[in-house]
Amino acid sequence: MTTELAANGKPFVHNHGAHCETAVTSALFRYQGLDISEPMIFGIGSGIFFGYLPSVKLVHLQVTAFRNRPGTVFRKAAQRLGANLVIKTYRDPQKGMNELRQVLKAGHIVGLATNLYWLPYVSERHRHNFGGHNIIALREIEGGFRISDPTFGDPVDCSAEGLERARFVPGPMNPRGFMYYTKSINPHPDLRRACIKGMKNSCGLMLRIPLPIFGVRGMRFLAKRIVKSEVKLGFQEACRHLAGTVRWVEETGTGGAGFRYMYAAFIQEASELFGSEDLVRLSRDMTAIGDTWREFSVMSARIIKKRNRPEATFANAGGLILKCADLEEAFFRDLQKVVKKLKA
Amino acid sequence: MDFEDEIFSDGLPKVYYKHDDQGRYVLETDAPWAEKVTCALIIAGNRANLEEIRKAVLAGQKSPLCYYMELRQMDPVMLAKAAGIATFRVKRHLRPEIFAKLKPSVLDRYSKALRIPLEELKTVPNR
Repeated sequence: MTTELAANGKPFVHNHGAHCETAVTSALFRYQGLDISEPMIFGIGSGIFFGYLPSVKLVHLQVTAFRNRPGTVFRKAAQRLGANLVIKTYRDPQKGMNELRQVLKAGHIVGLATNLYWLPYVSERHRHNFGGHNIIALREIEGGFRISDPTFGDPVDCSAEGLERARFVPGPMNPRGFMYYTKSINPHPDLRRACIKGMKNSCGLMLRIPLPIFGVRGMRFLAKRIVKSEVKLGFQEACRHLAGTVRWVEETGTGGAGFRYMYAAFIQEASELFGSEDLVRLSRDMTAIGDTWREFSVMSARIIKKRNRPEATFANAGGLILKCADLEEAFFRDLQKVVKKLKA
Repeated sequence: MDFEDEIFSDGLPKVYYKHDDQGRYVLETDAPWAEKVTCALIIAGNRANLEEIRKAVLAGQKSPLCYYMELRQMDPVMLAKAAGIATFRVKRHLRPEIFAKLKPSVLDRYSKALRIPLEELKTVPNR
């Protein structure tokens, strides 16, 4: 935790967060005086999700998403908490950068969507060609900007040229200079109602999407693919695909175990808010689900490392995902019932 | 094991949620072991792939464009959008004999899209 000054001299507290989008949103709200934690935003914005997209590839590996599309968590959370936001995209990079400078001069702090590959301060292991990384611009400095990137520990400096490139990189996932800041927020929002809305929405997303690649069905689909992958692709290639999946579970700013721990932290906070015993139990269930995902990633790492353990096989790794799918289906059905009893 | 630690000692640390003994959630900066292993595998794979392409370019089987596209973690479809050139043309330009005949205006578009100076785009580093 470090304190920085924004353009108008107002102090901004930089908090280390696990996920870029939720951490940026909570930082924007906190700057405006609404003290709200990162897991709370994640839960209210219905961040938890599962999607396996076999046709979308990043650096030759399929996308396995453990959260909702970039941008939705932030939009939903803002709507449910009654915040008034300015959201903008640009065609012309020069115009986008000029407006950023103006808004910063006016004393706002600004959330930006950037491409992770082109940010100059990012090291090799974080470099994916991924256009949905969120950061906060605090103020303009000589030759660049002061940036608070909540996924990393401290505020950093970024050159203007690098930031422009990251904001406007051409290609299929072009962020188009996506920029947002809070105009005003409700300092005393109805947190209970927002939580209930978020939980209900999450249940729907996980259980009711009638496509085989999303929600609980998507997990079963992925499990089948992993079991078959060794025969289909050969050991070496199957390992790479498995490693790609594990990277989505543990890396890419999930806070560990594919956001499941973060969601458990949200349920825990919500249980204090509602004083509900059911939610305490559900939080423990979610932790168990997170542990199963962690078990899956450890098992996969053993397969990759060829640790010669008889139980480390692709069939068992797929089995663990099936177990996760069963546990999560039970969890969200349970949550649906519990939410109905909660009073806003 | 060394390679994993080397990769993870570089750069800024991330945080992870972790439950302590009472079941409360706290933040910690130690990366889980599984993440280290898989990240190392993917990065090693990418590096080996890049090296293979570099050798193929030197042997005259692929064009330098292929090397720089891989370096920037793109595929022909992404590069086509970034450079504003049709995908089938980008795929053709991955062949060395066709790449050698490209006009400077086309090369200029690639050099802007990939952020590689025009001079470097025609060759690959000879390590």
